[in-house]
Amino acid sequence: MIEVTGLSKVFGTFTAVRELSFAVKPGEVLGLVGPNGAGKTTTLRTIAGIIPPTTGHVSLAGHDLRAAPTDAKRALAFFTDEPRLFDYLTVRQHLNFVARLYAVPDHEAIARPLLEELEIADRLDSLPAELSRGMKQKLAIACGLLHSPRVLMFDEPLTGLDPLGIRRMKDSILKRARAGAAIILSSHLLHLLEEVCSHVLILKRGEKIADGTVAEIRARFGNGDANANLEDVFIRATGGSE
Amino acid sequence: MMSHSVAGALLYVRLATIRGWFASRLRRLKQPKYAIGAVIGVVYIYSFFIRNFVQDRGQRPWTPPPAEAMAFAPDIAAAALLVVIALNWILPRSRAGLTFSEAEISFLFPAPIKRSTLIHYRLLSTLLTLVLTALFMTLVSGGWAVSGASAWLRAAGWWVVLGTISLHFTATSFVVTRLLDRGVTSLARGAAGLAVLAVAIGVPLVWTLIALPAPTQQDLAGLPNVARYFETALNSGPLPWLLAIPKLLIAPMFAADARAFVLALGPALLVLAAHYAWVLFSAVSFEEASIARAEKRATKLAAFRAGNLRATALKKLRDPFKLRDTGRPELAFLWKNLVAMGRLFTPRSALIAAGIIVAACTWLAIADLRGGKAFVAVAATVSLPILLFFGPMFARQDLRSDLKNADILKTYPLDGATIVFGEMLAPIAVLSVMTWLALLAVALTGATTPTQLPVLVKVLGPLAIAVAVPFLCALQLVIHNGIALVFPAWVASVSNHGEHGLDVLGQRLLFFAGQIVLLALGLLPAALGAAITFFVVNSLAGPIAAAPLAWLVVLSVLGVEVWGGVRFLGERFARFDLSSELRP
Repeated sequence: MIEVTGLSKVFGTFTAVRELSFAVKPGEVLGLVGPNGAGKTTTLRTIAGIIPPTTGHVSLAGHDLRAAPTDAKRALAFFTDEPRLFDYLTVRQHLNFVARLYAVPDHEAIARPLLEELEIADRLDSLPAELSRGMKQKLAIACGLLHSPRVLMFDEPLTGLDPLGIRRMKDSILKRARAGAAIILSSHLLHLLEEVCSHVLILKRGEKIADGTVAEIRARFGNGDANANLEDVFIRATGGSE
Repeated sequence: MMSHSVAGALLYVRLATIRGWFASRLRRLKQPKYAIGAVIGVVYIYSFFIRNFVQDRGQRPWTPPPAEAMAFAPDIAAAALLVVIALNWILPRSRAGLTFSEAEISFLFPAPIKRSTLIHYRLLSTLLTLVLTALFMTLVSGGWAVSGASAWLRAAGWWVVLGTISLHFTATSFVVTRLLDRGVTSLARGAAGLAVLAVAIGVPLVWTLIALPAPTQQDLAGLPNVARYFETALNSGPLPWLLAIPKLLIAPMFAADARAFVLALGPALLVLAAHYAWVLFSAVSFEEASIARAEKRATKLAAFRAGNLRATALKKLRDPFKLRDTGRPELAFLWKNLVAMGRLFTPRSALIAAGIIVAACTWLAIADLRGGKAFVAVAATVSLPILLFFGPMFARQDLRSDLKNADILKTYPLDGATIVFGEMLAPIAVLSVMTWLALLAVALTGATTPTQLPVLVKVLGPLAIAVAVPFLCALQLVIHNGIALVFPAWVASVSNHGEHGLDVLGQRLLFFAGQIVLLALGLLPAALGAAITFFVVNSLAGPIAAAPLAWLVVLSVLGVEVWGGVRFLGERFARFDLSSELRP
């Protein structure tokens, strides 16, 4: 569902991502972890088609991102850490706008249960400025899920959410994965990844250090401790420093 | 007074801030966009202000203006100052709040510093900042200086006036806060202010008008006579008493030489000092309003930096039209940007405006009000080039205001050209409709005005222009959006309304010139094509066939240019990464 082959991204003389290859199948949740500046966000932005890769290929839902970008993006929803919303559109107007871009017929019928699930159904006529940060995040999620994407990518999805919101977000991610979506999740919150992810990919200075199922990663970096938590594993894998 | 350590810390903050500001300005000159801008800005300021000023001083001996004007100008200035002060008392004003930055509030408000020290700090900071304003005012007013004193003395005069006005405004806000705390509403205060003014100014004014003989024809013959009469009026009845303090204040600004300046400065400084003391001893709570003001300022600045001029006044806006779930995606951008533009820009508003224009022009024609008709015709004709050539600079609800959302736009399943064209549709539509309305007024007033032109030309002329209007708007918007996409870092600094300085001024001038050149280059092929077509067809089949064909060539060339421009910008947008573009 998500196939990344030989992906590199260079800014001037700085290589942000180097020869990265991995795949995420339907139903899998891949946790993207790494120290600050490891290239996680650049990787996600490149896979989402926001910035072009310097080399390599990305395929989303069977569509090559370079050859058929609109088909690939039609299957995708990308959730940034900071919700990007239009200042002057209300919640309802945001959904109307996105529905037209993705040609979602009868979007109101789809949006209603989504908004109720995200608990912002009573804020239909609110502008982003009138919403808390968590609610803005929920609106961005509602907009992203409106077209039932098969590929989902989250960059620090829990930022700004309250404990109940965090619980619901985890449930929501797992629900989408069970429904067959391929999901990439980038976060520093390792306990989140431990709870939600089926696979983990560790990046450091733009390069892949390791990837595999959570159990495989634990076995490789757990120093023989099958119950080692992901935090210890991460610190060992990345050498304990940034 | 403040302790030495506190005073030292506050002075340090102020000086370090100023030093940091200058250092950052100098440092950024390493970037070509600022260095080039600075050179152009310096050349511009020198050419338009300093050169004349220097030449006036160096080459031409200063010739004093007529004595009448010398007597007249200070009186006018004093009267204007009085009006400003009076308005300040009447107009609604919020609670007292001294202007602190958010950082100053975070560090200074919880610090062990007396309130009076904070007030001293704020007032002295303001007076220090006004030195730059005074220098600027001296520079731009150099051309109409009415005194022979040096520029530095005039700058000092400006500083005294500006400083006192600033202190007076602060003191007024303190008095208002006292009144609000006692339950006096803004409305009641305004009414009371008006009543006091009616007594304090109105009565003496009426008294003066009664005492003063009406102007004769001789009084109104020529500027010197008018000036003399006005001077008599300002010195009649009780007006001299009312203007006494404003006159003291502005006297240094109008001093004829250094000696007169020194003599005038003492009383003016006394007025300034009295205001300072007034503010200092008006013990009211200013902290809450200062915090609110700082937050508002920070929000506004952040909004400006993000390219959003309306962030402080966002309102829920109605849909301009019903956006269906399926159809051309470009229309979704048109819909979104029309929502952003506000309630005025809907098809319904355009129809209402057209109805009003038709009704007004019909009424003017039926009533045969030639003056009114001429006025409408002239106003509409003048507005045409303004809308066509300046409109695209100001109607920025396109990629220019949405670049900050580039990340999210690029995740949509649309190619770059669709996004670029969709984003441009709202300004094209709004400017076209506004121009069409102006054309409608021109056509309606022209059609009923007897001229040499045949009726066919009177009707077809505006119609032909109306067809070309969207193409012309689109071409300019391609240029404006193209500059934003090709030079995002330049546009970011130029569009940032919080940015000032010679370098930014130079960048703005350079951009303006670039836009004009690009527009001329864009129009040239259309004009050449049309001219050649007209020349050839006219010689073969006459002007009736040549004119429409030439017009079609214009539209075709403009259409191809817009199409090519949008494709190019679409490609550019697909490769665009704002974060790396803005990387220093």
